[in-house]
Amino acid sequence: MNFITPSPEELSFLRADPLLCEQELDVRPEVAEAIAWAANLRCGRVYWRSGHDHLYALELGDLGKGKPSTAMVYGFWDRYEPRPPEHEIDGDLMDFLLWVAKISGSMKAEDVSRTAQHAGIRAAWPEGSVLRTPEDRFADLPGFPYKPRYEEVEGLRMAYVEEGRGDPILMLHGEPTWGYLYRRMIPPLAQIGRVLVPDLIGFGRSDKPKADPAYSYKSHVRWVRKFIAALDLRKITLVCQDWGGAIGLRVLAQEPERFSRLVAMNTGIGPGLNPGPGFMQWRFFSQRVGEMDVPLLMRNTVLRRKLSNAEAAAYGAPFPSAEYQTAALIFPRLVPIRPDHPGAYDNRVAMEKLRTLNLPVLLPWADKDPITGPWEAALRSLFKKVAPPLTIKGAGHFLQEDAGEEIAGHIRSWMETHQVPGGES
Amino acid sequence: MLRPKPEWLKPLFPWEQKEIKVNGRTMAYIDEGEPTGRPVLLLSGNPTWGFLYRDFIKPLVEAGFRAVAPDWVGCGYSDHPRVDAALTFAHHIADLVSLLDQLRLRGFVIVGQDWGGPQGVGAALQRVERLSAMVLMNTWLFTGYVGRFHSSPRPWTTWHAPLIGQFFMKRHKVLSHHGPEAVSRRGMTAKEARAYHHVFDEPDSDHVVLTWPRTIPLRKEDRGWGDMEVIEKRLPELAKIPTLLLWAPEDNVFPIEYANRLKELLPHAEGPVLFDRAAHFLQDDRGPDLASAVVAFLRRSLKEGK
Repeated sequence: MNFITPSPEELSFLRADPLLCEQELDVRPEVAEAIAWAANLRCGRVYWRSGHDHLYALELGDLGKGKPSTAMVYGFWDRYEPRPPEHEIDGDLMDFLLWVAKISGSMKAEDVSRTAQHAGIRAAWPEGSVLRTPEDRFADLPGFPYKPRYEEVEGLRMAYVEEGRGDPILMLHGEPTWGYLYRRMIPPLAQIGRVLVPDLIGFGRSDKPKADPAYSYKSHVRWVRKFIAALDLRKITLVCQDWGGAIGLRVLAQEPERFSRLVAMNTGIGPGLNPGPGFMQWRFFSQRVGEMDVPLLMRNTVLRRKLSNAEAAAYGAPFPSAEYQTAALIFPRLVPIRPDHPGAYDNRVAMEKLRTLNLPVLLPWADKDPITGPWEAALRSLFKKVAPPLTIKGAGHFLQEDAGEEIAGHIRSWMETHQVPGGES
Repeated sequence: MLRPKPEWLKPLFPWEQKEIKVNGRTMAYIDEGEPTGRPVLLLSGNPTWGFLYRDFIKPLVEAGFRAVAPDWVGCGYSDHPRVDAALTFAHHIADLVSLLDQLRLRGFVIVGQDWGGPQGVGAALQRVERLSAMVLMNTWLFTGYVGRFHSSPRPWTTWHAPLIGQFFMKRHKVLSHHGPEAVSRRGMTAKEARAYHHVFDEPDSDHVVLTWPRTIPLRKEDRGWGDMEVIEKRLPELAKIPTLLLWAPEDNVFPIEYANRLKELLPHAEGPVLFDRAAHFLQDDRGPDLASAVVAFLRRSLKEGK
């Protein structure tokens, strides 16, 4: 167990939720003593972060016996938000209890896990809680002949396409699109590297948990980080736009050693300030519709060319009905717009980290995007080695659709001048 | 006022429970039969309530007895305190003593299974002059013997351990929501299983399901050791009380060794009379047969009853 000390600021944005409460540690006193010994604690709290990045604490109380008399385990959740899915909490508690059994001396971790098995306690998505878009929705997509590959992340199937060889070029899409958005950039970039285009959980061909609490800024970051770890990607050139950047930049800050270059387009990572009227209007609209007409939204937003009916329909393919849109409908409200907004603190920590990085950064930016258009300067100011401004003229928010080949060309020539030491490409 | 019972429960459990304040908490109990009839206290254990004795009420009343089946505080339709300290062995005993006093029960009979045994006998010992007979079923009244079930790591001592117990018993309600159904020999209907566990639906309402296991005296330091020792030492005072042992030897929790030990401590007891096709909750598995055995025993030993 790796105990940590969270900052008072972080704790101020969270609420402590008592999960396990021992009022009297008189049963099996040797176990209680072993816990106190291993946590180096008689009275007070120790904290740890779980495999789901959730914060937990063990609190021991001393009622004057000279040894712990009470014990509580708390989960810490975003202060005013519903807690994460129960099976995540189960998994995290089980990890902790297996540790308790292991250090106790008188118990076996195996007995705890087998007891849980016998009781039918599975730290997994409950039957029927995850949707999967039927395959036939993705038949004959114009300009997207790529076969999906799959990687399992926390019991969810994450879909991605992979083309080319060499160092990974990881392309992350945002709201409410999927890997299809990058189709014009895949062939040119696949000539110089191993292009990987995953669909975020809740989007494209990836699995879609039904319940709202599954989706948080933190869970998207975690899923992408675990996807990268599962494929063990290194020397990554990260290409991202919209939420792909909001997520990707957090992953970059957590595991900078995996990344060698960053291409961020019409995206941002905010400290919890009002992101401007364009975004606020979109947020207001999106939180009231109940269902998104994604093909229509794409048609209206792609400016430099006219989307064909089949292309527009491809953006709607992942969503046979509103039930499949949970992730898409939630995304706009996950953008931190206040200093105490869930995710704002984590973003501030990530931004501090990003300021210290030396990786080369390219920021192709569409100039006809009312939402993220104004965010370029803020993002630019985070980085030391950032290329001069690169404006994609006349392009809207989905610049990969407006000018995919053009942007890919810029990325290629920029990558050639920013070689990775010891890299294959 | 007691919580109203759901409609679906009424055909299975037609009796109106009464309520009484014991030690500041509400205790629910069935009280059927003539008020002048000899009171027979039907005492259940973990994690059940008066419902467990539903097959006993009618035969006892028809035989002229007064059937009194309380729900222990923490169980059934009684109050469910969330505090360990309100659910100790001594509390449970004192609650039953309070019931005996307030209902002015004289010449009462104790019928107890599981925790109904030690808690019932513990209370009877406080009012031993008014006790007239005992029926003990799959229970124990002693320290110093620990069977395989209570000493084995799966599931018992794991369910039990600090924090780990909270996870299984409270967060996942493995015992309160699945116990009786899981060991039923007869095969319970869904409604019957629901009748046992619906009383623990409210989160954190099943505190007793964890305080009871932790009261079982396995070692000297355990919560229940001292109180159980007091009961065991006083058992000779019951040497003249007609006693019957009814036993389900297929029960994993209290196998026949426990009956044999009880027989050593209460050598005058009849039995153990064995009932097959029954497990820990034998009143549920073989209710009518056990009820007739109890009625016959009371008629025989007390020379009364219709």
